[in-house]
Amino acid sequence: MLKKLVGGILITTFTFGQTTANPQFSVIGDLVIDHLNKNTSLLSSGIEIAIQGYVNPFARADIYLHKHNDSSPIELEEAVMTIERGLPFGLGIRAGKFRPDLGKINQSHAHLFPYIEAPSGMTKILGEEFWSATGIETNVFLPLPWYSNFSLSYFDSGIGSHDHSDYEKDGDDHKDDHKDKDDYNYDDAEKHHGREKQANAFSVRWSHFFELNDVNHLELGLSGYSGQDEGILGTDLKYKWRPNKYRSLIIQAEVLQHSLEDVYKEKAVHPDEKLTAGYAMVNFQFNKAYNFGAMIDYWSLELADDEGMNPSIFFGYSPVEESAVLRLKIGQLEDEGHHKKHLKTTVQIIWSLGPHKPHRY
Amino acid sequence: MSSTTDIADIVKIIGGDHVAVTSIARGNQDPHYVEILPSYMLKVRKADIYFMVGMELDLWAQQIIDGSRNRNVLVVDCSVEINKMEVPTAQIDASMGDIHRFGNPHYWLDPENGKLIARIVAQKLISHDSKNADQYQANLNQFEKDLDSAISIWTKRFSNLKDKDIIFYHNSWPYFSKRFGLKTVDFLEPKPMITPSPSKLNQVIQKIKSDGIEVIASESYFSDQAPKFIASKTKVKIVKLAQSVGAIEGADSYINLFETNLTILAKAYGVSYD
Repeated sequence: MLKKLVGGILITTFTFGQTTANPQFSVIGDLVIDHLNKNTSLLSSGIEIAIQGYVNPFARADIYLHKHNDSSPIELEEAVMTIERGLPFGLGIRAGKFRPDLGKINQSHAHLFPYIEAPSGMTKILGEEFWSATGIETNVFLPLPWYSNFSLSYFDSGIGSHDHSDYEKDGDDHKDDHKDKDDYNYDDAEKHHGREKQANAFSVRWSHFFELNDVNHLELGLSGYSGQDEGILGTDLKYKWRPNKYRSLIIQAEVLQHSLEDVYKEKAVHPDEKLTAGYAMVNFQFNKAYNFGAMIDYWSLELADDEGMNPSIFFGYSPVEESAVLRLKIGQLEDEGHHKKHLKTTVQIIWSLGPHKPHRY
Repeated sequence: MSSTTDIADIVKIIGGDHVAVTSIARGNQDPHYVEILPSYMLKVRKADIYFMVGMELDLWAQQIIDGSRNRNVLVVDCSVEINKMEVPTAQIDASMGDIHRFGNPHYWLDPENGKLIARIVAQKLISHDSKNADQYQANLNQFEKDLDSAISIWTKRFSNLKDKDIIFYHNSWPYFSKRFGLKTVDFLEPKPMITPSPSKLNQVIQKIKSDGIEVIASESYFSDQAPKFIASKTKVKIVKLAQSVGAIEGADSYINLFETNLTILAKAYGVSYD
């Protein structure tokens, strides 16, 4: 039903839209060189194609397609219409397939990360490519002296419908640990939840932005998510100091706590289990073209008594206004069983055609 | 609201006590790249009129206006009456650097264009607030008179700048140079918005030595590194000019912007200007 509604809105808007000018097309591509355990590999995440433009004076459309560097078909990352002008009471609406307003990082495309790869803890909750779903969002400015925005979204599928293959392996490992704790009947739980996880989901976010002065800004956010048998609460912070175009400092941190209830990714877990994930990052731009920073990435399963933490440092070089960026990351990587820690070095060369760019700051 | 401080100053002059105007970009900020802050959207949300520079200089403004969700704001492009310079006549692409499709957008740096901006501002204020139309018209007339008088005085006082060779960091100054007779012989940027390369700097050094160029001028927001390097190898003088109101000390109004820049240049060239 929701798909039909969203589809109807999009078709109507495109049909009756004033398409007097071509939309903007952009392409972002990359090359990634990984060095781990004396093995070096050359990879590419493929290309992202962005098609963006105004549908009419009140609405714009943003479409992001991803073609992985393999034989898989082109994947629709986002196809969303945003109405920001023309609605009463300062309302805004997004409709289509998009990245929900849940936490800070979920809305960021991977090419924006100065640390190249998404924090592993966040991917355990949001999925390898983060949560993108078909639905509708309404948001409103709250009548406060500072910028305060509240958004509420409804989707046809929850985060649970995503593939979390790496965590499923971990789930098998921890099943026995849970049994030892309080004899919970995991087999029944799996049978009970054996149906397909396509239940509807809601997310909310309340974000605040404070312009402390001309060069210091602070952003705070609270997020919530409710899906079938799962819920997420989160908070995030971003501080930015930017005195001129040659220097800036960003401190960003985010924590999400995922209440798994009794099943997670079709694997039984303790009904009170909570997966907590977070990261903290500092990124310093010390020249027009250079930046460096550090990040610490953390996750834990409370009852399974399992956790992981990966620190890393990163460096970026952008010679020509972010149309091409060279990134380097050196970080710790834990193996599947969390027994061994490895040093992983990653180099990324990322380029863009068109106005959609791999912004750094 | 306005995108830049120059337009904000003109709006303040024409609107007088009947308007409250704020600029998104600060005077010492590069107007090509302004970070879109949510707080800007909140400011535009309360605005009746938004004055844009146009010519794709302040493309960022549209995102702020959209994000404001102000369905009543009137968006005004101040460049519509400008006689545009350097409009590309052939196909352009990113290999040429950051070329503006509709011509060089730094038009406010010719004081004659300040009058054209003021007329658009007055026209929009009058149509929006007709009960104060007489006041806006009177302010416009006075501003035009003041600018005409100032242009006449500057033309005489700074006549010694005419035909002086100058190197600019970025191509922000064609309107200014044309008005006051400066001859732009080169730029530090090899292509628009491309950081000066060692080979470009070497080329500029050779040119300064062979042609006896006396002054390199840059916008306030650019780093001194490249100009200082060239100055250390030659006898060239380096100056910072106000590309917008509030960019440097003294340039605290639209008229003072020109007075300040011309005085800085006259001092750098060592020519009399009184």
